Amino acid sequence: MTSIAGLLGRGAGAMADAVRKREVSATELARASIERIAATDARINAFTAVTAERALKHAAAIDERIAAGGSGLSADLPLAGVPFAVKNLFDVAGLTTLAGSKIERDSAPASADAVLLQRLEAAGAVLVGALNMDEYAYGFTTENSHQGPVCNPHDQRRIAGGSSGGSAAAVAAGQVALSLGSDTNGSIRVPASLCGVFGLKPTFGRLPRTGTFPFVSSLDHLGPFARSSRDLALAYDAMQGPEARAGTTGEHDPGCAQRAAQPVIGLLPRGLDGLRIGVLGGYFSDNAQPEALAAVDRVARSLNVTESVELPWVEAGRAAAFLITNAEGGARHLENLRRRAADFEPLSRDRFLAGALLPAAWITQAQRVRRLYAQQVARVLGDFDVLLAPATPCTAPQIGTEWLEINGRRLPARASMGLLTQPISCIGLPVCTVPVWQAHPTMPVGVQVIAAPWREDLVLRVAAVLESAGVVSAPVAAL
Amino acid sequence: MTPAQMEDYVDAAAAALELPLEAAHRPGVLQYLALAAGFADIVNAVPLSPHDDCAQGFLPVGPGEEAR
Repeated sequence: MTSIAGLLGRGAGAMADAVRKREVSATELARASIERIAATDARINAFTAVTAERALKHAAAIDERIAAGGSGLSADLPLAGVPFAVKNLFDVAGLTTLAGSKIERDSAPASADAVLLQRLEAAGAVLVGALNMDEYAYGFTTENSHQGPVCNPHDQRRIAGGSSGGSAAAVAAGQVALSLGSDTNGSIRVPASLCGVFGLKPTFGRLPRTGTFPFVSSLDHLGPFARSSRDLALAYDAMQGPEARAGTTGEHDPGCAQRAAQPVIGLLPRGLDGLRIGVLGGYFSDNAQPEALAAVDRVARSLNVTESVELPWVEAGRAAAFLITNAEGGARHLENLRRRAADFEPLSRDRFLAGALLPAAWITQAQRVRRLYAQQVARVLGDFDVLLAPATPCTAPQIGTEWLEINGRRLPARASMGLLTQPISCIGLPVCTVPVWQAHPTMPVGVQVIAAPWREDLVLRVAAVLESAGVVSAPVAAL
Repeated sequence: MTPAQMEDYVDAAAAALELPLEAAHRPGVLQYLALAAGFADIVNAVPLSPHDDCAQGFLPVGPGEEAR
């Protein structure tokens, strides 16, 4: 018999295997997850809602299906009984979609679940709650003034990163095996790096965003957090595929490429298999502290990678992402900025206000530069299948940190945590962030494994190789 | 933009958008506008031709596809 405590530490794939073999029930796992949240979340503050009743009802339904037996359950329920949670910008039927804000508390509860949530539940996963985040996803620290900060499970004096801070922390704390977040400029990769978990930001346009609160539609991505590359792949495969078109369900994401699913779980064992891998230098080494560079070096040495390469126009790419984000975000919230600016998060309100005022010519130029930069990087990706870069400039700073020292420069801490992720999401490349532990005495720091558009298989294959070699791992925090 | 030009710009743009700026928010807005102006200098330094297009696309919407 597999112990529930052991399963909570082992991750989603192991849980689903045990549920399908009837070694443990989905109901027992849901209860264990809810109990773990109750026992630990006063110290972490990852959850803004726990959906216990819904979870137990859905888990019971999964158990009934398992008991009814039949063949093909592995394919039908790849995430059987796996407890998961979602950043609170995902619609959860019956809950108000807060998007980290005070303002949205006045909104009506969602009438339906977000599409990705529906897909994970259809694969057997069990939703246990909604997660804390930076207001309207505009931040990298999840020091949310309305809900309180999310504390890093590995050292509760430190930030969890953001904006999907609750999503990373809940996985690192062993509260859930799987979570969903969003990433506009680094909001999956930054908290994955600082909390020591795996995070997948798929290609821009890969996964439908229907039923989520948007931040910057021209840059927003959704993706999973987990404690292994296999778990990421299971979740990612369950969420892929085109949406039913409007007219049948009524809604769809106009920014989704609606590509056919390209499952990756079966490709993980392929290993490196001749992949050409390079380390990103220049901008990426200039903007990282020694521990972040040591993490990349450790990963590169494990993969026998010696070649370094620089991205052309990378600073212009980052600048373009900043401007597009600032303007699009400000414009989206203009009406509330006019009527109730004082209700915005104090840490991002002035940035939203400034963004609403930016000249149109700057934004049009930024969008044109974005395309040119993407074309230039595509040439680099013709020579390299995979690129490596630090995910954050450093390990998790203390909560309340205002400034970072990087290579002798004093930079604002909250904006600078995304320095190394922003140039990659700007052009929509798929990235798996892998957690490295040996680069700092006590804390993890992540490495971005980057590939060409639509090649999520490559970043997950490399992550799996690193995991097998013991170079990256995501242990549950001792709480 | 000089700091004085930036202040003038903020006042004019906020007025055009009917966006009231409280005194307590104004220093932060000026700080972030200056940050954005620095990033604008970087993107404006990239040589583009009239044929370099935007990254954004648009999908026409047909009958039956109106919902969101």
